[in-house]
Amino acid sequence: MSKKTPLFKWHAGHGGNIVSFGDYQMPLWYEAGVKKEHLSAITSAGLFDTSHMAAVIVKGTGSFELLQRCFTRDLNACIGKEKSPIVSGRCVYGAFLNENGGVIDDAIIYQITPDEYIAVVNAGMGNVVAGHLDAHKEDASITITDLTDKLGKIDIQGPMSPKILSKILNNPETVFDNIAYFSFKGHFDSTSLQSQQVKLLDGTPVLLSRSGYTGEIGFEIFVLPESTLKVWEMLMDAGEAFGITPCGLASRDSLRSGAVLPLSHQDIGEWPYLNHPWEFALPQRDQENSFSKNFLGMDALLKIESPVFTLPFVGNDPRKVSTEHAVVMDDKGNKIGTILTCTTDMAIGKHNGRIYSIASPDKPEGFTPRGLSCGFLKTTIALNSGQSVVLKEGKRTIPVTIVSDIRPDRTARKKLNDFI
Amino acid sequence: MKEINELNLPDDVRYTKDHEWAKVTGDVVKAGLDDYAQDQLSDIVFVELPEPGDTFGKGEVFATVESVKAVSECYMPVGGEIIAVNSKLEDDPGLINTRPYEDGWLVEIKPDDLTEMDDLMDKATVLKVLEGNG
Repeated sequence: MSKKTPLFKWHAGHGGNIVSFGDYQMPLWYEAGVKKEHLSAITSAGLFDTSHMAAVIVKGTGSFELLQRCFTRDLNACIGKEKSPIVSGRCVYGAFLNENGGVIDDAIIYQITPDEYIAVVNAGMGNVVAGHLDAHKEDASITITDLTDKLGKIDIQGPMSPKILSKILNNPETVFDNIAYFSFKGHFDSTSLQSQQVKLLDGTPVLLSRSGYTGEIGFEIFVLPESTLKVWEMLMDAGEAFGITPCGLASRDSLRSGAVLPLSHQDIGEWPYLNHPWEFALPQRDQENSFSKNFLGMDALLKIESPVFTLPFVGNDPRKVSTEHAVVMDDKGNKIGTILTCTTDMAIGKHNGRIYSIASPDKPEGFTPRGLSCGFLKTTIALNSGQSVVLKEGKRTIPVTIVSDIRPDRTARKKLNDFI
Repeated sequence: MKEINELNLPDDVRYTKDHEWAKVTGDVVKAGLDDYAQDQLSDIVFVELPEPGDTFGKGEVFATVESVKAVSECYMPVGGEIIAVNSKLEDDPGLINTRPYEDGWLVEIKPDDLTEMDDLMDKATVLKVLEGNG
């Protein structure tokens, strides 16, 4: 089975190197090449077709309780430093776990109203997550709707994205007013009350979310399939003067790795969802044996006997290993783990032991990075930031360092006003 | 990716099945990756080259070329001693993508047996192989 997004013809007609990804025919990169695409999302703007992703609507009284029970994030304590409850117009990242504490899929949950939510999940996971929620609902009046292939999605990411987007919005000032990181406005469904909040110049309603998968400032735009190509072309036209670049899956992968964001079913998966860089997606752990809420999979997380650790790493140069064949070795040559993700962030380099990005305001003069390999390791022993390990694949041995962060000076969380 | 008819495959070099090219000038063989290989690999970000003086047999791995997508090994088109490497690639590995037969060459080889060149393919044969595969 091979599915196509509403933008497939555009990709194929614009030099997209098409590959199968999950069930979908997707561009891996375009004629510009991965490096330029990667850099564009850091220096100008990158445009990504993410229509292969799925969304599930959860609606009705009891929806909050269902999600609070099935989702790792504590929806009563997830917004801002003060950990306030989710409110309409905010979205949060977390995961759905099975009873063993393993990941079914990760998701961003959007609160449309206190009784209506959209869970945005990965390609091919719409029916899985919908089925999972349906099996765990206690209130028969809750409706769960899988929107797989019924929704288009375009991500615009990079420092120029607010300016580009403002060119196609009907009311950019109101839309950009008070739109914090991980908040959203509007709705793709014109029958929804919220659809009045965000309209494009031609009247197309969109759900506009200030989020993304690159670590850079930008938006995820949800739109009906029949309008997706039109919106993509509007953005390409409006973005031409700002250097917008269509980006494929390869640069999406290298950008998210450098931003320390996990790929579901690769960096998080069947194993217990604990001891990883994304523990903010779990409820607060007050004591060793309790979380601030009960949730599916919690009991298993509290009873782990042999823990595994997921750790970000960065190399000294762009050299990579394959995730299938390489192993992680300690300095004594003992195998201590495997590699989950290994890619090259082409925008970074090391200088006097410190990582700089092409976007770093204090980068050394004449800084032209060759890129650094980076990604995630899964080890059987805990390692601290700064510790060195070796990735070994056949004859190749690549020294890397455990880190807490990879690409510096990312823009995702910066003030939107500085980019308008 | 390029269509087969878009590939730049010069007539004056010979090709291996793994898409290295080799060109004889006097008694030296210059070698690199052909246009098909660089196109398949996409943006090349790193090259590990041998040291001058290293010797390898025909078909042995002499270099590793790393793209954003994959790590790829390069095989000696003919056996012999490495007498020069393209040090420009250290700072600008993308030359393999932009000028695979010119500034993007990998090594110069002093061949043990120049007649090994006869085992390599000419452009017409490479095209036939590619069309057969494609």
